[in-house]
Amino acid sequence: MTAAKYVVNEIKGYHGFIKFLIFLVVLAAVASLARFVFGLGATTNMNDTYPWGLWISFDVVTAVPLAAGAFTLGAIVHCFNIKRLEPLVRPAIVTGFLGYSLVCVGLILDLGQPHKGWQVLRYWNLHSPMFEVSMCVMAYTTVLFLEFLSPVAEKFGWHLPLRVLRWLEMPLVIAAAAISTLHQSSLGTFFLIAVDKLHSLWYNPLLPLLFWVSAICSGMCIIIIEATSCHKWMGQPNEGELLRTLAKILPWTLSLYIALRIYSLLVLSEGPFFDFPVLTLSFALELGVGFILPMIMFTQKSVREDDRRRVIAASLVVFGLVLNRFNVSMFGMMDPNQLYYPSIVESLVTTGIIAGHILFFVLIAKYFPIFEHHPETVDYS
Amino acid sequence: MSSRTDFSKDKAFLIDMTKCTGCRGCQVACKQWNQLEAEKTEFFTGEGYQNPPAMSEFTFTRIKFRDYEKNGQNEFAFYKEMCMHCDEPACASVCPVGAFLKTPEGPVIYRADRCIGCRFCMIACPFGVPKYEWSKGLPLVRKCTGCYSRVKEGLKPACATTCPTAITYGPRDEMIKEAENRLAKHPDKYIHKVYGKEEAGGTSVIYLTNLPFDELGFKPVTMRPLPGYTWQALRLVPAAFLTVGGGLSAISWINHRKDRLKKEREEAAAAEGKNSACCAPTEPASEDKED
Amino acid sequence: MTNHWNDIQHADVILCIGSNPAENHPISFKYVEKAMDNGAKLISVDPRYTRTSSKSDIYAQLRPGTDIAFIGGMINYVLQNDLIQKDYVVDYTNASFLIDDGFDFNDGIFSGYNAETFTYAKDSWKYKTDKDGMALRDKTLQDPRCVYQLMKKHYSRYTPALVCEITGTAIQDYMAVIRTFCSTGSPDKVATIMYAMGTTQHTYGTQNVRIYAMLQLLLGNIGMAGGGINALRGEANVQGSTDYAFLYHILPGYLKVPDFNHVDYATFLDQTTPKSSDPNSANWWSNTPKYMTSLLKAFWGDAATEKNDFCYDYLAKKSGNYSFIHLMERLRAGGFEGLFCMGTNPVVGGPDASSIADGLGKLKWMVAADLWETETSIFWKRPGVDPKTIDTEVFLLPAASSVEKMGSISNSGRWAQWRYKAVNPPGHAESDAFIVDQMFKRIKALYEKGGVFPEPIVNLSWDYGNGHEPDIEMVAKECNGTFLRDVEIKGKRYKKGEQVPSFALLQDDGSTKSGNWLYCGSYTEEGNMMQRRGLEDPTGLEMYHNWAWCWPVNRRILYNRASVDLNGKPLNPKKVVIAWNAVTRKWEGDVPDGGWAPMSEDGTKNPFIMLPEGYGRLFSAGLNDGPMPEHYEPMESPVANMMSGQQTNPAVSVLGKLCNSEKFPYVGTTYRVSEHWQAGAMTRNLPWLVELVPDMFVELSEQLAEWKGLKNGDMVTISTERGSIEARALITSRIKPLRVSGRMVEQVGLPWHFGYAGLAKGGSANVLTMAVGCANSTIPEYKAFLCNIEKGGDVA
Ligand SMILES: Nc1nc2c(c(=O)[nH]1)N[C@H]1C(S)=C(S)[C@@H](COP(=O)(O)OP(=O)(O)OC[C@H]3O[C@@H](n4cnc5c(=O)[nH]c(N)nc54)[C@H](O)[C@@H]3O)O[C@H]1N2
Ligand SMILES: Nc1nc2c(c(=O)[nH]1)N[C@H]1C(S)=C(S)[C@@H](COP(=O)(O)OP(=O)(O)OC[C@H]3O[C@@H](n4cnc5c(=O)[nH]c(N)nc54)[C@H](O)[C@@H]3O)O[C@H]1N2
Ligand code: SF4
Ligand code: SF4
Ligand code: SF4
Ligand code: SF4
Ligand code: SF4
Ligand SMILES: [Mo]
Repeated sequence: MTAAKYVVNEIKGYHGFIKFLIFLVVLAAVASLARFVFGLGATTNMNDTYPWGLWISFDVVTAVPLAAGAFTLGAIVHCFNIKRLEPLVRPAIVTGFLGYSLVCVGLILDLGQPHKGWQVLRYWNLHSPMFEVSMCVMAYTTVLFLEFLSPVAEKFGWHLPLRVLRWLEMPLVIAAAAISTLHQSSLGTFFLIAVDKLHSLWYNPLLPLLFWVSAICSGMCIIIIEATSCHKWMGQPNEGELLRTLAKILPWTLSLYIALRIYSLLVLSEGPFFDFPVLTLSFALELGVGFILPMIMFTQKSVREDDRRRVIAASLVVFGLVLNRFNVSMFGMMDPNQLYYPSIVESLVTTGIIAGHILFFVLIAKYFPIFEHHPETVDYS
Repeated sequence: MSSRTDFSKDKAFLIDMTKCTGCRGCQVACKQWNQLEAEKTEFFTGEGYQNPPAMSEFTFTRIKFRDYEKNGQNEFAFYKEMCMHCDEPACASVCPVGAFLKTPEGPVIYRADRCIGCRFCMIACPFGVPKYEWSKGLPLVRKCTGCYSRVKEGLKPACATTCPTAITYGPRDEMIKEAENRLAKHPDKYIHKVYGKEEAGGTSVIYLTNLPFDELGFKPVTMRPLPGYTWQALRLVPAAFLTVGGGLSAISWINHRKDRLKKEREEAAAAEGKNSACCAPTEPASEDKED
Repeated sequence: MTNHWNDIQHADVILCIGSNPAENHPISFKYVEKAMDNGAKLISVDPRYTRTSSKSDIYAQLRPGTDIAFIGGMINYVLQNDLIQKDYVVDYTNASFLIDDGFDFNDGIFSGYNAETFTYAKDSWKYKTDKDGMALRDKTLQDPRCVYQLMKKHYSRYTPALVCEITGTAIQDYMAVIRTFCSTGSPDKVATIMYAMGTTQHTYGTQNVRIYAMLQLLLGNIGMAGGGINALRGEANVQGSTDYAFLYHILPGYLKVPDFNHVDYATFLDQTTPKSSDPNSANWWSNTPKYMTSLLKAFWGDAATEKNDFCYDYLAKKSGNYSFIHLMERLRAGGFEGLFCMGTNPVVGGPDASSIADGLGKLKWMVAADLWETETSIFWKRPGVDPKTIDTEVFLLPAASSVEKMGSISNSGRWAQWRYKAVNPPGHAESDAFIVDQMFKRIKALYEKGGVFPEPIVNLSWDYGNGHEPDIEMVAKECNGTFLRDVEIKGKRYKKGEQVPSFALLQDDGSTKSGNWLYCGSYTEEGNMMQRRGLEDPTGLEMYHNWAWCWPVNRRILYNRASVDLNGKPLNPKKVVIAWNAVTRKWEGDVPDGGWAPMSEDGTKNPFIMLPEGYGRLFSAGLNDGPMPEHYEPMESPVANMMSGQQTNPAVSVLGKLCNSEKFPYVGTTYRVSEHWQAGAMTRNLPWLVELVPDMFVELSEQLAEWKGLKNGDMVTISTERGSIEARALITSRIKPLRVSGRMVEQVGLPWHFGYAGLAKGGSANVLTMAVGCANSTIPEYKAFLCNIEKGGDVA
């Protein structure tokens, strides 16, 4: 039978949830089309007061740190040589790769002149964090792509490329870590320019460092969540053993973040801090529920050992990060007498991007060997 | 990015609001020179006769009206909004493709052919000047050009040419001097401040007023040039890169060496049951910092 | 203007009363602010707090129509506190002149009034004279019959308290105005008055202007640099069109239009040429015969001869009042077959506008020559009217705008400046000159075939080249004047065909022609003086005598011989307009008001050369409604006149349809905004201007808004006996209710720029205004009427 038929039947076979995801992605595609036909003004709630909306705040500023698992884990496993965690690496890389690809998609929609996006490579402006980030994202996506090639190669049993990739592994991992450090932090640098606009609860010179550290934390937490759900819903082996190790690292990174955060507030920023109750609340949720609480939880053996509690703590961190990124890139810059909320199109696109992420992960997992990977045992020489 | 430090000879606007009659000749002249569409307005959008509601892709400059009573005294005030043509423009510093350029003549110009439409400039500008073509599918940014096309031919900007009373145009240092002279000559007539001398690190548009600036709707701005705020972080990029990269390389080298030695030792032990301990010297990770 | 735009910068005090230069004469404000930079004080007196008021040092609010009370109080203050510039007043004004014993004034009425005809017999409004007709004077100003004492008595009734009761001005504001303005009575201090339509558009508009002038005379501010009384004229060339007789009762150069009873030229000259027996009186108008004859020669050329009275008979004689209001009455009465509207839009600009639109329907035909399709040219399809019911045939002639043709425009400072053609007119548009030329040629052709009294047309001299349109240079040359034969004057010979260098050389024997004696000197043998662009400024007062040309004889400041003492020494050495050089025995500086020696020498002439007596008139028989201005209430007023029992101007007949203050409690006034021009065709069709002021609006006080439950921008209906319109409410503290005769009176302000044609449409304020005019100029009382305001729009 023809490829088309094959695909159709294949899809027919999918689980209802997956079909739903496909539906969401299609919706998003339609919405994106509308954006180009009717223009940004008509389809989004962005305007001259809110030049950046949901797409930048989530699809870029938030999505990037959420995809930080890949480089963090890569570093932990290969550099700090904690080989036990190896099995988690590949899924992480896939997530990372998807994450970044979708960031690019988000950007293309958000740019006024996507067809000219490449010009970043032509006109360099070293003073622009946006330039820095664009360069990194492009570079890092390539790295992830290369890393992602291994399972592909394995599936089709290409030996030579595999050997090359194996030999490249270390350099790639290190490059990944270095590049990520730069753009994860530069995302924070974005908002250093908003000196008179961003609320002082969030504006401080340490923004870049804070963005980096929090990205590492959330990166690990995403892995925890991911692995756990793969076990729960995709019938993968329970990696609880390994996740426990991650959970051991987290209290350290989290407390580092919290320490920096408090230092930046008390020492580096001057008020007014609590002039808008809503913002105060948002801040409390972010730091208290999003970082301090999970930090304490992870110090508890009971939490680290127990799959459910562990994943809850991890989710709290992810929540904290998301809220933080929105606070910095949106809520913290709101004009009280002209609020912004995303339009239908904006929301559809973003949900579509999230759905797409999960969808592709599941599909890739379905067709490529991203879980059965145990390099020690296999030998290609 | 221009790395100039002396802006005293740049052309600058001295806008004396105590002399502005709110005639709005400047607003119309600007639309005419730049061939900007008229906006569809209804009644008035703001106090007095204010129109249109704000600067926009169609409106590069606008007279803001204030019409109120202050301890029994009527205040009917007019304030000309436009690009401030900062000495060190935030818009230019954040633009990934350097679409904005601070010209040697003074005007900060925008090069549409470079722009990718990311709107970072809009976030960055402390005065909320750059506006976006929201009506279009592939929008660009729009803002006051400082009438660069006129200025580089030795003409004054359209608005400055039309203005019967309030706008003086000339070298920045002279404009500041003139402003200070006026403050000295009529101290009772003015708020004692030359706005734009230090604001945002200095601008090529300089204001004098008789009303408190916040009453006229001026937003507070830093006195430091804005590009500095990002640069202080960005300049560390190479260092960060080398530190992390170098650091990790070193660490992994050490760790892998450890395994190797461990393996060898085991093999050796297996060979002659004997075990000669030796410790490996560890080099420190390369930590070369630079700007 | 007695002075000119640039000269405003030399004032120490600037009084903007009845004008709003910041909005309506924006460029003039350049000079106002220049003066302020040098320490001048700006005073704004206006019912509304305008963009001019926003720049002023002192603002005083007054009720529309109460300027005479306001200034009368100032005159009283000056006289009571002896702040006059004594020598000036004695030497240069008629303060010392004794007035005929028959003259009297009581309870608002001057002697000689006839209540049936609403007119005055002026025979008692005259000077006491000796046996040879010389006016008697008392230079000590003590004689109870001298003008000074009569004035003092007359204005002693104008106490600050009563004035403010009438005008509604806050007393402290009023006193601040008085103290500042009346401080300029010393020779080294000078004040100027900038006035316009807020002053003139009243049933006593001319008296409003007169009382400003009297105050300036008392303070010695006329003839001085930075002084004078300055009318901010309207359209860019309205000064020129007035000079060229666009009013029904004057011929070019303000020569009088013959009356019905001026049966022949001799009678006309005899009755219209002022006489004086004072040897020191220049009495310039005694030259009337020279100017009139030269005009007739310009009209009818060779056909005009001594024998046929220079075709005087060809001139139309007026047998009544042909001013705008009366013409419109006649129009409504079906008194016209056709109407030519050249550059005017009466359906928006005229008073009681709806009735004018109705009147147009009575015409057989109407021609509109305009840049745009105006309300007037589409009156037949105006809202609420079925075109089928209107038989008028309407022709719209597309006209070329001012930048699409060459010619001169005369600004308020009397500067005639030549303009070049910048671009060609669009489409089929043609200059007005072309339109008139074609009209004439075709009408002439018809008359040549015969008709009633064809001579005035067929004999008209019409020699402006054979181009597509008349050669404007040739027109300008004719206006200046030409010698028609070789003549010798005061030993100097002039050839036939030479341009006359100055009106001093115009003749009454037919040897010269001049289309407008005032402009004699504008286009001489040296060329077109109006085209000059010289920037030399020897006086340092920015008079720029080589920039363009101004009438009369390039004199930049009128009555400038009053700026020096009797020996010709400048009263204000800091700002020297003219000065007598005893060595060269010549005047230096501006072109003097006649070159005669100073007053202390014999053979001199009195400084106010246009007046028979040669003195500035504090008392004048010139006007129809009294020799001294007296406060009356506007035709429609919410209060009784507190100054006398005479409610309104006795010389204006009270018409029928008046609003009463029960039904129409609010005082309405109309005005302009910077963003729109006049009846609006020229601005309501330009998107960039429409963007700024898109809708008809009405300005009203916060108190009235609260009382009527209005929010800013709400639609309201404003109504009078004449009609009603819709507008958006602009609620502002810049308009305040006034405390008048013990109660609060609300006022509302309406721009009059809107109408039903063009890009931006809106209700016309003139639907509300009333067709009653000034006793002298018959300019309509646009600035004060009664109206009512209700929330919501119901007009459609
Ligand atoms: N932008 C613009 N400029 C114009 C014009 C225009 O249409 N638009 N028109 C031109 C023409 S033709 C003319 S004639 C001039 C007119 O120039 P202005 O006379 O300045 O024009 P207005 O606004 O009619 O009246 C001036 C002021 O008189 C005030 N006023 C009303 N009633 C009274 C009163 O009783 N006493 C006093 N003291 N003030 C009173 C009004 O509130 C108003 O602010 O403007 C010329 N310039
Ligand atoms: N309520 C109220 N009414 C008023 C006034 C007021 O203050 N209040 N002001 C009064 C005053 S001061 C005046 S001057 C009148 C003005 O009343 P109008 O003169 O009737 O009004 P404008 O709009 O000046 O009319 C001029 C017309 O001439 C056209 N035009 C311009 N240039 C040319 C040209 O070169 N050739 C020809 N053929 N046409 C041309 C324009 O398009 C415009 O339609 O309004 C009076 N009406
Ligand atoms: S005002 Fe804003 S847009 Fe203008 S130069 Fe400064 S930063 Fe750039
Ligand atoms: S929108 Fe254009 S001009 Fe503004 S920062 Fe982005 S690329 Fe530069
Ligand atoms: S400088 Fe030019 S572009 Fe800028 S506001 Fe003035 S006229 Fe408009
Ligand atoms: S042109 Fe000059 S006076 Fe008129 S509104 Fe603009 S700045 Fe003010
Ligand atoms: S509109 Fe023309 S005439 Fe009136 S002030 Fe402006 S420049 Fe002068
Ligand atoms: Mo006028």
